[in-house]
Amino acid sequence: MTTIAADGQIVDDHAHDADHKPAFFQRWFMSTNHKDIGTLYLIFAIIAGIIGGAISGMMRMELAEPGIQYLTGWVGAGASMDEALHLWNVLITAHGLIMVFFMVMPAMIGGFGNWFVPLMIGAPDMAFPRMNNVSFWLLIPAFLLLLGSAFVPGGTGDGAGTGWTVYAPLSTSGSVGPAVDMAILSLHLAGASSILGAVNFITTILNMRAPGMTLHKMPLFVWSVLVTAFLLLLALPVLAAAITMLLTDRNFGTTFFDAAGGGDPVLYQHLFWFFGHPEVYIMILPGFGMVSHIISTFSRKPIFGYLGMAYAMVAIGVVGFVVWAHHMFTTGMSVNVKMYFTAATMVIAVPTGIKIFSWIATMWGGSMTFKTPMVWALGFIFMFTVGGVTGVVLANGGIDDNLHDTYYVVAHFHYVLSLGAVFSIFAGFYYWFPKMSGRHYSELLGQLHFWIFFIGVNVLFFPMHFLGNQSMPRRYPDYPEQFAYWNEIASIGYAIMAVGVLIFFVNIAWAFIAGRKAEDNYWGEGATTLEWTLSSPPPFHQFETLPQIK
Amino acid sequence: MSHAQTRDLSSKNLRSAVMAGAMGLAMLGMGYAAVPLYEIFCRVTGYGGTTQRVDAAQAATVQTTARVMSVRFDSNVNSALPWAFKPEQAVDRVSVGARDMAIYIATNKSEQPVVGTATFNVTPVQAGKYFHKVQCFCFTEQLLKPGQTMRMPVLYYVDPAILEDPETRDIEEITLSYTFYRSKNGIAVDPAKSES
Amino acid sequence: MTHYVKAWILALGLILTPATAMAQDALPAAPGAEAAPAEATADAEAPAAEAAPASGLDPELYTPMKPTEGVGMPVDGGLDFQPQVSETGKQAKWINNAILLPIMTVICLFVLALLLIVIVRFRRGANPEPSKTTHNTFIEIVWTVIPVLILLVIAVPSISLLAKQFEPAPEDALTVKVTGYQWYWGYSYPDNGDFEIISNMLPEDEANARGEPFQLAVDNRMVIPVGKPVKMLITGADVIHSFAIPAAWFKLDAVPGRINEKVLQIDEVGVYYGQCSELCGARHGFMPITVEVLPEDKFNDWVRANGGTVKGEEAVEEGEAEADADAETAADETTTEGAPAEAAAAVN
Repeated sequence: MTTIAADGQIVDDHAHDADHKPAFFQRWFMSTNHKDIGTLYLIFAIIAGIIGGAISGMMRMELAEPGIQYLTGWVGAGASMDEALHLWNVLITAHGLIMVFFMVMPAMIGGFGNWFVPLMIGAPDMAFPRMNNVSFWLLIPAFLLLLGSAFVPGGTGDGAGTGWTVYAPLSTSGSVGPAVDMAILSLHLAGASSILGAVNFITTILNMRAPGMTLHKMPLFVWSVLVTAFLLLLALPVLAAAITMLLTDRNFGTTFFDAAGGGDPVLYQHLFWFFGHPEVYIMILPGFGMVSHIISTFSRKPIFGYLGMAYAMVAIGVVGFVVWAHHMFTTGMSVNVKMYFTAATMVIAVPTGIKIFSWIATMWGGSMTFKTPMVWALGFIFMFTVGGVTGVVLANGGIDDNLHDTYYVVAHFHYVLSLGAVFSIFAGFYYWFPKMSGRHYSELLGQLHFWIFFIGVNVLFFPMHFLGNQSMPRRYPDYPEQFAYWNEIASIGYAIMAVGVLIFFVNIAWAFIAGRKAEDNYWGEGATTLEWTLSSPPPFHQFETLPQIK
Repeated sequence: MSHAQTRDLSSKNLRSAVMAGAMGLAMLGMGYAAVPLYEIFCRVTGYGGTTQRVDAAQAATVQTTARVMSVRFDSNVNSALPWAFKPEQAVDRVSVGARDMAIYIATNKSEQPVVGTATFNVTPVQAGKYFHKVQCFCFTEQLLKPGQTMRMPVLYYVDPAILEDPETRDIEEITLSYTFYRSKNGIAVDPAKSES
Repeated sequence: MTHYVKAWILALGLILTPATAMAQDALPAAPGAEAAPAEATADAEAPAAEAAPASGLDPELYTPMKPTEGVGMPVDGGLDFQPQVSETGKQAKWINNAILLPIMTVICLFVLALLLIVIVRFRRGANPEPSKTTHNTFIEIVWTVIPVLILLVIAVPSISLLAKQFEPAPEDALTVKVTGYQWYWGYSYPDNGDFEIISNMLPEDEANARGEPFQLAVDNRMVIPVGKPVKMLITGADVIHSFAIPAAWFKLDAVPGRINEKVLQIDEVGVYYGQCSELCGARHGFMPITVEVLPEDKFNDWVRANGGTVKGEEAVEEGEAEADADAETAADETTTEGAPAEAAAAVN
């Protein structure tokens, strides 16, 4: 296993020993193989996505018309109205936490990051394969703790109903019972998992690039994961500290965020958003990376302004750490602080604009085909632009006074996440699925999935801008009938989107049942990164001889 | 890869991982350090309407100006604390720079001795760094016997520098707000002990 | 495989349920939605709640005003902001509708147009041979500098709006102290004898009977005089709430243990609704805000109807919310402090 090819050529990785796989239990439960762990992450993300998506389906059912329709039924017979209303808060909390920590992050960083960072930099595996395994398996108890918290007392009813932001004092004195403690421990475990993952990615990317691959030759997806890993490493420990303090405030009589002992609940918000704002870039940066590759591949043209693209991501990451209080414009801050955070936040639009225009410039002069990954990437660019411009609106502290905590904000972050991050995840999935599985999906179903999902999410989220303009607050289980029209439209949008998701699963099934075998580089000359030099699926062990980058 | 190369790589990896881990730990430390740092930051800059503490000697050096300003006194009692707590007068007019005394009156309405502790801030929040307290009852645990009423003085002045700061010079009224909570340590106070 | 398919069909059915529910006639309102506010009333602090029951005020002094349809409340199917009744609100709405929205729309359409152009011009059929261009310093500078300029254009009015929103209240401004409770609002008037209004959501039948929108209407409104700056002091009693009046572009968090201040000035007589805007527990969605804006004399009548004292006048009667001796002192002090306020009122 330790032969060196003197000329640096890739030796035949299809050799028997390179593709020798361990037995089932060993392979999937004690895995140290980055591709297997990546697959586990992707399966995990899909399961979490189904649960998180089903919860949002429950939410859209309840909100389809005025009045409390289903909550009383879901909470069970004998429960009080307050318990039913608490269930609503549990649902919105779970939806947020699941989608952020157990769907988008595992899919992007754990799934695609694990699969393709080593492949793209020409490394045999991650730097710390066993730690990689630990990272994944920490997610399972984390997820179970979060799901389990829904069935233990959490204040007014069962479950943690604090919102994903877990603001004190609602999360401390306002929520008696173990549910919030379980949710906090769940975040601890998920955070630990991500921090270990981040250390692993940083080490891998910095030390294990193939000979000749300088940082400035590194594929943009690897760049995006590197920046994301640093964001994780710098942001998550602050969250860990904040929620640990919540935990001791809840259980051990400390008063970090309790005014009764001289603490300040607003400090919790500062700490949370110091993590929370970089977190939104953690969720979108790998998507930027994937979209860059897809645009380049299907335009048969190298990425335009590569260095600008890479450093735009770095800039977004850096600036992302100094804008957090724009989430707190209504907490009562002085005019100078508000002006600073308004200005700093708007600055982020500049590197983001550079990325949007560079993608378009990449396509300009290209020879484009519109295969499934490409339509998702094109959809991503436009939807992310829409979500981005509403972000500029919200960045204005004076304007935000009316829009803060309304559906306008919900619309904004779903445009950048549900239509941004999720579109890029689907784009990446279709781009690499044949590489990962060795099977082609149905192009027709992929296109159908895109169009139905695209129409669905727009019908679902665009009306929320109007609801926000009309000042419908977030996190409401019911609303005055003046909000009925757009809520009904949004719920119809959800149903359309759900059909799209269904087609996605049909497509995966179709690929495994009837899909054509995938060739090594099924996208042709536009696909130039190292994973396309390998078979589909790649051998169990690849690059035992490091490739030489010109 | 040769053994030497593998060994080189693993020690390099270990070094990178330790560095990265140290960054993570440093941020964890920063998370906790944020608590005292935030407190210091608030005290120094008056952020969030945090008032300033000064000693009598320093207060004596301040010149009184001709400009008169209102100071409003606000009071809140947390529902867990069975006290009545009100300022003796709701608004006071003081010359900027002049020392003034405000009195809050607290009464224990319950049958048990109760310890309370107060938190406070001023608004507009940017006035915090110019509101100087020479003496006050903030954060000091106050014991009230059943039915006991206590007058709690606040000795303060408004720093004349407030008139020079473009952010604060238009302020005509400052509100000083206290919220009394039941002290977390004082829930089970021994009545006999409190006599001494 | 078939059982997978079946599971998915079932899941789809579940997902599509809202559509079928919509097809039915409107369901009767959830019983609990009515039960919720009733319970809250019972929890409320007794004195003030008794002082001002729904119709308990002297009708000669005060009768609740009817809201105007489409003003101070959302409109079904509405697209734009609610009509603004404060100066800063008008300015903010103008900034959004005249500056931000057009710029944002143009940017989106520009990106969309570029996408359509590349899709048409550079599809493989139209352009089989891709160019190899990967750099163009000029264009890269352009798309960095132009967004910066656009942001500067936005920043100027945005910063001036902020400065205006933070203009401090004059010394003689009426002060209203708002306290957020789980799950209702308390409004006290420290300059008017310090009475406190406890404000709970009206049950559906009651709201309908009064011709007010359900889930926005309350039993006891916060009342302020028209066209005058009101100094709003906002705090929370238990968890964080957020006090919002969309028609006045006003929102400020009610944080326990600290007071927040913001000036509210509404220039048109009327009734304006808002809702709690920070997650505060189970009945977060059921603690609305109703502000009634009255001419000064009517406002004074309302104060008298609540047993409060009008600034500059002798106490008509003792503040009902206060029973102990301390409050008496406080009320007296307030009255003596009324002199400058009276002078200011004369100027008006």
